[in-house]
Amino acid sequence: MTRVVLNRLVGAAVAVFGASLIAFLILRLGPGDPARLVVGPLATPAQLKAVREQMGVDEPLWTQYWKYISGFFTGDWGYSFGSGQDVTTLMQDRIPASLELGLYAFLGAFVFAVVFALVATYRRRPVVDGSVRTLTFLGLGTPPFWLGLLLLLVFSVELGWLPGPEGRLSPDLEPPPHHTGLYTVDALVAGQWATFWDAGKHLILPVFALGFAAFAYFVRLLRANLLDISREPFLVVVRSKGLSRWASFQRHALPNAFLPTLTAAGLIFAQLIAGSVLVEKVFNWPGVGQLVVDSILRKDFAVVETFILLSAFAYVIVNTVVDVLYGVVDPRVRAWSPPV
Amino acid sequence: MEAGPIAATQVQRTRVLADWARATVRAARFVLHDPALLTATVVLGLLLFLAIVGNVLWHEDPNAVDLNQTLQPPSAEHPMGTDSIGRDVFARFNEGAQISLTIGAIVVVLGALIGGAVGVIAGALGGWADNAFMRTMDSLLAFPPLILAMAVTVGFGVGLKTATIGVILTTIPYYARLCRSDVLRVRSLSFVEAATALGARRGWIMLRHIVPHLTSTLLIQSAAVFGYAVLAIAALGFVGLGAQIPTPEWGTMITEGLDNVLTGGWWIGVFPGIGLLLAVTATSIIADRARDIFDPRGAYLRF
Repeated sequence: MTRVVLNRLVGAAVAVFGASLIAFLILRLGPGDPARLVVGPLATPAQLKAVREQMGVDEPLWTQYWKYISGFFTGDWGYSFGSGQDVTTLMQDRIPASLELGLYAFLGAFVFAVVFALVATYRRRPVVDGSVRTLTFLGLGTPPFWLGLLLLLVFSVELGWLPGPEGRLSPDLEPPPHHTGLYTVDALVAGQWATFWDAGKHLILPVFALGFAAFAYFVRLLRANLLDISREPFLVVVRSKGLSRWASFQRHALPNAFLPTLTAAGLIFAQLIAGSVLVEKVFNWPGVGQLVVDSILRKDFAVVETFILLSAFAYVIVNTVVDVLYGVVDPRVRAWSPPV
Repeated sequence: MEAGPIAATQVQRTRVLADWARATVRAARFVLHDPALLTATVVLGLLLFLAIVGNVLWHEDPNAVDLNQTLQPPSAEHPMGTDSIGRDVFARFNEGAQISLTIGAIVVVLGALIGGAVGVIAGALGGWADNAFMRTMDSLLAFPPLILAMAVTVGFGVGLKTATIGVILTTIPYYARLCRSDVLRVRSLSFVEAATALGARRGWIMLRHIVPHLTSTLLIQSAAVFGYAVLAIAALGFVGLGAQIPTPEWGTMITEGLDNVLTGGWWIGVFPGIGLLLAVTATSIIADRARDIFDPRGAYLRF
């Protein structure tokens, strides 16, 4: 087991190293001079040279790469010329907003997915099962940014039930005192009910737009697993011992069905990162995704480089942890590792 | 002396043709007996029809500005309405279908070719070459797919071409992994041993005996990749990294729709999204059924 884990960790480290190299090469070898973007087209050659030296783009590639990677791991993520701030502070400001969105989307997707998968498989009604399956296909095919647009049109513009694309709070409200950076949690801690209610209302649409695809993916996985497991002999045994249908389902089928969804965590994570970039733009959500899109269009490279490496890093960590965890939870994986 | 082999290849050719005909009939029967698959095929056919002949039949220029006809709701004259500078949304929708489906096809073909080649070479060579290739693929897999494609557009300039290259790059490792594992599986089968015993060279065995076995894997993966590519290109266009604004690409059209949300011009953004939804859902249903039929193992690329 230790050897499997170690192998996996070495593999992850190699992947992160390769990814950083690829990101570096893609971003630095492309046409366009980052220093020229900073100084603008009217700068004198001397000014350009000064900025090039300051940014270090005239040094050999290996030195640049070393600076890039060591800076990343020591938390020095460079300076954003677009906003005049350190990337580290910029990210720190933005991450809680994205985290709040992603967290609720993930939780919502998971809870609803369990309910829907149960409804689809519990009584085996073809109509119910069919509509849940259709829903999952729609969920996987719906572009999250378009879903956001649709939700805005219906619930904000037409019905006026929920706020429009104005970010995390209504413009006339102050953000709650900072503890976690998650407005709903902070407002609860401070006992500001109005702020909590407002933050919640602002969350509903973006969370739905972001979580729908993840929900569909979870349902698909859970449904297939539940169907597989309900054909297993041990469930027949459990029923014949006299356990009710529901008891056998929730005690014996569900926990086993959750197991394989663990492997989907990496995929869901990637989906949430990519989705947040798209959905935040729709709702003017002041998160990392919005920051990155703005930075790309402003050619603010330091922010983009950091985000790309950060997301690759986080993605590899999630995948590795899931792999290792899966081995811990499911002994079969430990005993039998697949060829290839 | 020449007659023998030639006659043999001719017999072989007719047999192959007969096999193809039989397979087509079987596939058609399969499609007809499965309502979901039938719907998906019809929808995809319809989108293809709009993409190819839609704007030949519909005499509107997708980029013609008409300031007397701005923000018209859908009507007989403009089935999908007009946008904020009076362009016909239906004509732009058709053009968008053309762009999306073409790029989806390009991504699938190039991704399968490059990724397949990497997988086959890695699987065939083995050893350190295999290791080097697959570690590179792992590094590409370390990025969330859309983020890698974004990085490419950032490094090499924003636009439809670089966005397509970026999306192709994200599909390569998935193809490579699947093909490599298939090569390894097939390589250990006894007919390969037989070919080796008959004195066939390694390259020949690869091309003649192993690569044909990848067809079903490649086809199924491609069906899934197609939907992913269409969605990814639209997503990049939406955030301004893919197709640029006047281009009637579905993603950029949704951006324009977003700008008109508060003025109530719902039709500008909603229709291209429906196009995306239909294209992606139809291909994912087809991919799903294809997987049921051929049942290969492996991870599939998702958005």
